[in-house]
Amino acid sequence: MHPLIFIGGATTLGFLFALQEWIDSRFWNYHVNLSLLLSAWGVQYFLWGLICWVLWINFRQQINDASLRTVLLVGIPLSIGVCVLEEIIWVILFPRLPMGHPPMSFWPRLLFHLDAEFVDSMVIVWSAFFLFRGLGYYQRYREKELAASQLESQLVQAQMRALRMQLNPHFLFNTMNSISSLMRIDVSAADLMLEQLSRLLRITLQRGDSQFIPLSNEMEFIEMYLAMQDRRYAGRVEQQMRIDPHLHDALVPNMILQPIVENAYRHGLCRVSSGGHLDIEASRQGSRLRLAVTNSGHGLAVVHNGGSPNGVGLDNVRNRLRMHYGVEQSFSISEVEDRAVQVVLTLPLLFGSRPTDNETRYGVS
Amino acid sequence: MIQAVLADDEVLARQKLRQLLREIPEIEVVGEGATAAETIDLVRATKPDLLFLDVRMPDMDGFDVIGHLATADGVNMPSVIFTTAYDRYALRAFDIHAIDYLLKPFTLERFRAATHRALQHIKNLRQNPQAAAAAKDGNGSPYTSRIVFKSKGRILFLPVSEICWIGAEENYVRICTQSETHLLRETMAHLEEKLDPNTFLRVHRSSIVNLQYVKEVRPESDGDYGVVLRNGQKIPMSRSYRARIRNWMER
Repeated sequence: MHPLIFIGGATTLGFLFALQEWIDSRFWNYHVNLSLLLSAWGVQYFLWGLICWVLWINFRQQINDASLRTVLLVGIPLSIGVCVLEEIIWVILFPRLPMGHPPMSFWPRLLFHLDAEFVDSMVIVWSAFFLFRGLGYYQRYREKELAASQLESQLVQAQMRALRMQLNPHFLFNTMNSISSLMRIDVSAADLMLEQLSRLLRITLQRGDSQFIPLSNEMEFIEMYLAMQDRRYAGRVEQQMRIDPHLHDALVPNMILQPIVENAYRHGLCRVSSGGHLDIEASRQGSRLRLAVTNSGHGLAVVHNGGSPNGVGLDNVRNRLRMHYGVEQSFSISEVEDRAVQVVLTLPLLFGSRPTDNETRYGVS
Repeated sequence: MIQAVLADDEVLARQKLRQLLREIPEIEVVGEGATAAETIDLVRATKPDLLFLDVRMPDMDGFDVIGHLATADGVNMPSVIFTTAYDRYALRAFDIHAIDYLLKPFTLERFRAATHRALQHIKNLRQNPQAAAAAKDGNGSPYTSRIVFKSKGRILFLPVSEICWIGAEENYVRICTQSETHLLRETMAHLEEKLDPNTFLRVHRSSIVNLQYVKEVRPESDGDYGVVLRNGQKIPMSRSYRARIRNWMER
């Protein structure tokens, strides 16, 4: 906030107090110098405005984060100090006050004014403290709300993109074309491909709205997608998955890996005529989860020349990671040996408090 | 010969079933129903052994058909294979002892597996109606004979006899059949409890094998033993479980 708001507002308040006191004393038939009153009150509140502004600019964070312990041990002594300091400055500036008293030296004057105004001063400091703290809460609440709605829309976008990716001409129509060509020569292979396509669409449609899902669910989709691609690329790509079994339940953002795997095919593996490889790895690094997707291909140059299409899916991944985890995550895309491209994500390793419902049932027939 | 009725409101869907059934000579189609009411009448009239049943039909759904048939006197309930585009009715289907649950579109292979299971079931039923009825009520064996779960966009009513072995992966188990593996959220202890100990043997803290698929138990170089399955896969066996397999072999 602009300093004028603090200083202007506080000084105006001071003038109003001065006016009030002047009117009061006129009412009781005292004659007080209005300009002295105005300057005394004005300066006092100008100082308070300045102090509040300094608090706002430099200590907002501390005010918002302070625990009760800090408030008691640091806040109270500090507020006393600030009140005394403000009074000292003011007393230096107005040696003629208090009026109607014989002239006093500095210390008695300070004590006199402190006695009269210390409680008021404390009230001002603590009002400012609680006001700032309240504003902080409000701001955080708003930010959280905003982030939540953004995340929601990003997830929806990811889902839409997943659907579009499967319904896009490259994937859907080529798959259908493969089915159509298989129908003439191998009906059961055509059937199988049709069934796989349906399973893939089914999983996508059933992902639901939850922001986080267990890694095993995410991998289920990936496995299906890979099975499908394996048929289309008929042995051109060797797929490998290494998932640490401790991590099946680790929570990952819904649809976080899928755009990466799709990208691996779209920009890398689809240009490989044989001997391609795709590695997906989930491992634990201390308190972090590391997900890595490596694909052979033609390096990053191709991807970058491709321009924006690559960007959208990965940007979504990047954005969602940032919004979920702040600085606790990392995303990198790099070229590793032999023109392979590797995407690595790390995120905090979290497990669901309640495991997902068991959908297995037993029976006799 | 086993007689079957097809129930689906879409003519192409019935046509596909008919076509696929041509590959299975033991099954004869005795009628086709396009609505639930038609199907109920047809089943009452023809008393088939097997019913291919769509869930969503214009008048009532497939479960209503079952309900009507179950309350009708003088009709033996046919074995049911559901064919539907929706996976959300799978558990209900499992609970009413449906033979299988086919998600459309399905392949001939998947269809064969379902009909094979149905044929098996119907044969058992004919040979030994009392035992089969008892098994259906669940007072027969206390052990599960099949499991239902979702895996990779499919519903599986998996007979436990098709499980080769089961491996633990932390809070999950990996169920391995001859052709596929499935990851289930389940514990080894719970699963072991459900499985018949005469067929399934725990050989390691993290593996259970189906003895029907075991080829041999072979000593390893380090003094431990390993179980070799018929498909050549080796599963390590721990000392503490070795006594159990020895007992079984001596029987």
